[in-house]
Amino acid sequence: MAGTDQLSRVFSALADPTRRAILAELAERDATVTELSDPLPMSMPAVSRHLKVLEQAALISRTRSGKWRASHLETAPLREAADWIDRFRRFWNTSLDRLDAHLAAVQAAERLDKKEL
Amino acid sequence: MYPDEPQLAISRVLDAPRGLAFQAFTDPDHLATWWGPSGNTLPRDEIEFDVRPGGFQRWTEIAAAQPDLLVHIHIDLTDVADGELLEGVMHVTGRLQDDIEPFETRFRVEFHDEPDGRTRLEIRQWLPAHLAGPSNQGWLEALDKLDATLLHIQAVATDAEV
Repeated sequence: MAGTDQLSRVFSALADPTRRAILAELAERDATVTELSDPLPMSMPAVSRHLKVLEQAALISRTRSGKWRASHLETAPLREAADWIDRFRRFWNTSLDRLDAHLAAVQAAERLDKKEL
Repeated sequence: MYPDEPQLAISRVLDAPRGLAFQAFTDPDHLATWWGPSGNTLPRDEIEFDVRPGGFQRWTEIAAAQPDLLVHIHIDLTDVADGELLEGVMHVTGRLQDDIEPFETRFRVEFHDEPDGRTRLEIRQWLPAHLAGPSNQGWLEALDKLDATLLHIQAVATDAEV
């Protein structure tokens, strides 16, 4: 697991809808800032600022090939963020399975008590 | 302090009347039987409950696989409606697994009647505030969508390697 600071950067990067839209674009293919700005109602410098936040959270990497600088989605940090949520989901599901069994046992015992009365 | 939308939502129907389901969360002997993964132990003399709005629930957990790890749970109950609702902030401290740092997490458990006499639990949980970021409206769905996209990409990549 990454440290708390890193996760915190990932979550706060994900908190913004524009940055999520950018990530969704990059999930399809690598793209330059020009390509990313096209469908978005904002300027290239504004998109560049969002890319910087994503890069600091290690959610994207940027490579230079020729004069184009393409952004590439890095899936590992996203996976770690999802893992945090999954961890809680697993905890609840495991507990609730046991709760099911417990409630069945309690009610079976109650029925038995009633029969014996 | 907390974003409004929970990051985790679980719905579950229990084959028991609502009163009994509520008791399973609020009676120490009940909770100790089912809370946590199998093999989890809650020492009875360290369970302290005062279930009411403004009250608390406290206990210690020992994991079967790692008995040296002691996890302390301290819940501040912010809202309680008998048989209907438990809401609070859970503080998790002690020696935690996987280098997890102590954290706090807000939760809400609603108990609803099902038409057939069973009980539906609606569980909501919010990530620790320091992790969730200042405004996360809608990102849970976005994350799910991204996750699906990424899984698809990975499947394609795996195919490509063959």
